[in-house]
Amino acid sequence: MGKKKRAHPDVEELLARPWCYYCEREFEDLKLLISHQKAKHFKCERCGKRLNTAGGLSVHMNQVHKESLNCVENALPNRQALDIEIFGVEGIPEDILQQHNQRIIQNYYTAQAERRAATGNPPPGQSRGQGPAKKIKQETPDELKQRLAAHRAKLAAQKAAAANGTVIAPEAQGQSPGQGVSANFHNPLIPGSAADLPGSRDLHQISPFPPPQPGFPYLPPGGIVPGGVPGVPSYSPSQTYPPSYPPGPSPPPGASGAFNLPARPPSNPPVTSALPQRPPYYYNGHGNGTPTPAFPRSPSTVDDLVVNAGRGGDDIDQLIRMAEAGIKPQQQKNGAAEDGAAGEKKSKKDKEKNTRMIYGDSEISPEEKMIAEPRYRFVAEVA
Amino acid sequence: MAPGENETDVQTPRKRLIIKSATGGPKLTSTQTPATQFEVAEPPKDAMSALVFAPDAANRLLVSSWDKNLYLYEVGEGTDETKLIKTYPHRAALLNVCFGANENEAFTAGGDMRVMRIDLETGEQTVISKHKEPVRCVVYSREHSILISASWDLTLHIHNLADRSSPSSPLEIKLPGKPHAMSTSPSKVVVAMTARLVHIYDLPTIAAALAKFDGTNAAEIDIQPWQQRESSLKFLTRAVSCMPNDAGYATSSIEGRVAVEWFEDTAESQARKYAFKCHRQAAPEEEGSIDIVYPVHALAFHPVYGTFASGGGDGTVALWDAEAKRRMRQYQKFPESVAALSFSSDGKYLAIGVCPGFETGKMEDYTGEGRTKVFIRELGETEAKGKGPK
Repeated sequence: MGKKKRAHPDVEELLARPWCYYCEREFEDLKLLISHQKAKHFKCERCGKRLNTAGGLSVHMNQVHKESLNCVENALPNRQALDIEIFGVEGIPEDILQQHNQRIIQNYYTAQAERRAATGNPPPGQSRGQGPAKKIKQETPDELKQRLAAHRAKLAAQKAAAANGTVIAPEAQGQSPGQGVSANFHNPLIPGSAADLPGSRDLHQISPFPPPQPGFPYLPPGGIVPGGVPGVPSYSPSQTYPPSYPPGPSPPPGASGAFNLPARPPSNPPVTSALPQRPPYYYNGHGNGTPTPAFPRSPSTVDDLVVNAGRGGDDIDQLIRMAEAGIKPQQQKNGAAEDGAAGEKKSKKDKEKNTRMIYGDSEISPEEKMIAEPRYRFVAEVA
Repeated sequence: MAPGENETDVQTPRKRLIIKSATGGPKLTSTQTPATQFEVAEPPKDAMSALVFAPDAANRLLVSSWDKNLYLYEVGEGTDETKLIKTYPHRAALLNVCFGANENEAFTAGGDMRVMRIDLETGEQTVISKHKEPVRCVVYSREHSILISASWDLTLHIHNLADRSSPSSPLEIKLPGKPHAMSTSPSKVVVAMTARLVHIYDLPTIAAALAKFDGTNAAEIDIQPWQQRESSLKFLTRAVSCMPNDAGYATSSIEGRVAVEWFEDTAESQARKYAFKCHRQAAPEEEGSIDIVYPVHALAFHPVYGTFASGGGDGTVALWDAEAKRRMRQYQKFPESVAALSFSSDGKYLAIGVCPGFETGKMEDYTGEGRTKVFIRELGETEAKGKGPK
């Protein structure tokens, strides 16, 4: 069990992991984080000296190299500011911290949901029989036919292969949505797989709602969710599941397993403290916990990008890259744009801001004035 | 995301440094050599008008001064010593200087309205051209062996120096405004004038015209600018510098602004141009929220990386990445206004000329005496290297 837990750390563990403010990378422990920051963000590019903070580096650059430091190296575009004193995880502004935590939670639940969907395993603390059947799926006759045809074709292929003396690894193509993603199964935070979920398209935009929510619409009216419908979506690493899952309406064909997930009843682990601040992105007026079924899923180009990026591999760097890619667009909207192109416009608007020009003559250059001075004027020698 | 950054990296910084330098090889040691900056021992005795490194000898530096002298310095290899090799006295204050075909030839633009050729070896001076007003700028195109001088008599004088048999009288181009700055790229000459006029001339066109010129048929030869533009900056242009890759140029104005533009006359290329504010300071609080805006006197492109440096009346030098539109560095304040900048041909040195700036209306007792200095900054290997667009 212990080992298994290691493979899928629970949400508290994830939230407790130290991470770097400048590049959003996560680390196993604080020591590593600090050494990362010293090497990547607080290292003097002149002499290689590694300082403890950006402020320290700035002072060092000033005193030793007589240069001024403008930005923190290797930092995300809107995290290059020098005025924020960061050491390890100390000093991270509250809002950024919350954003980060929310994203971790998002990723966690998305990945968890996916994992469950993939394996059909019930959540911890529930016996198999009690939980929903592994795959309740209603197929249209057409789909059934298609599947049958595919199955037959596969059998035929296997037979043919067997006849040839080769063995084909059984592949469930398009039959079990779970197996399709099981390659990613070992990493609970796989960005790519998370992004594949229809309900999590906007994950990167820090959707205010947990991914399992799209499952709601498939509950019969007056659902059997214990404790009623959650008022505020919240998460629990050890929640209990509704006792049964209605076999009634089924997800649309082709939908991934996430739709089969039961809703989570509310509970209040400490992490939820970060949640209420989220802006309700899509569920405006969400008060009684009935989510709007129309969950936006049109993928933006950024999403596509992220999905593609996430598919590349499943190491932690990939995750960070994805996190970066996922955050950047939004941050650019909010922050970076202001000091970037918008800054130019802004400055134009601020034209009224008083300026005093040191040299204000737009007709005559300083050189012309100088040469007119007796001191510099050329007087042709009288030959 | 960061190569080499792995989770076993728990050594102490010092230890890690040693390990890195053992495996990192020469590259690392070079980046660890701290950049040095030193002051040239015998600076000009009055304000300087220009400062330029030789195009082929990376350690030769010419400084033209208002004290009527041209100064030749040599930057010592690997030492902090820059020696004054020679001074070349002139009749009047010098407004500009450039190198000629080789490291021993220079041309000066004089307040005595003459363009002089100086043999730096022998000190021999030859009059190349005579204008009717002081000569503001002089540029030499090595690619075409053409010398161009711009004077406040509203003309450009063009000389073909490749062919000694060519007429000694210059081919003249009329200008619509007083020229204030001029720069060449391999194929273009950019002349910035009053009233925000910018003319770009095509050097091959000029060369073709020169070939037809016999000294008497000037009236038949009509050289039109390849492009006529209005400066992107609203105020008087202070400096122009062309990109070494022949793609475009940067201009700066008296109003703390720099513009970057491209030669190519297509909508896409022109859409890329931009301008930004720089060399400004917040005024002391008693004046309220006022920005003091300094003129940007000098621009210089790095010959290797294509980044550029700007120097302003605020006494600072900043390095800019034209592609990424970012400031890479801002150096410590110099004691006086930065008047001229030049990168050495190998990009290893940046020469910074400082002298007192010009406060409007305070021209009467202006003197740069004792306050004119030349600094040589030895750049770290990647110091002027841009990071590329982000």
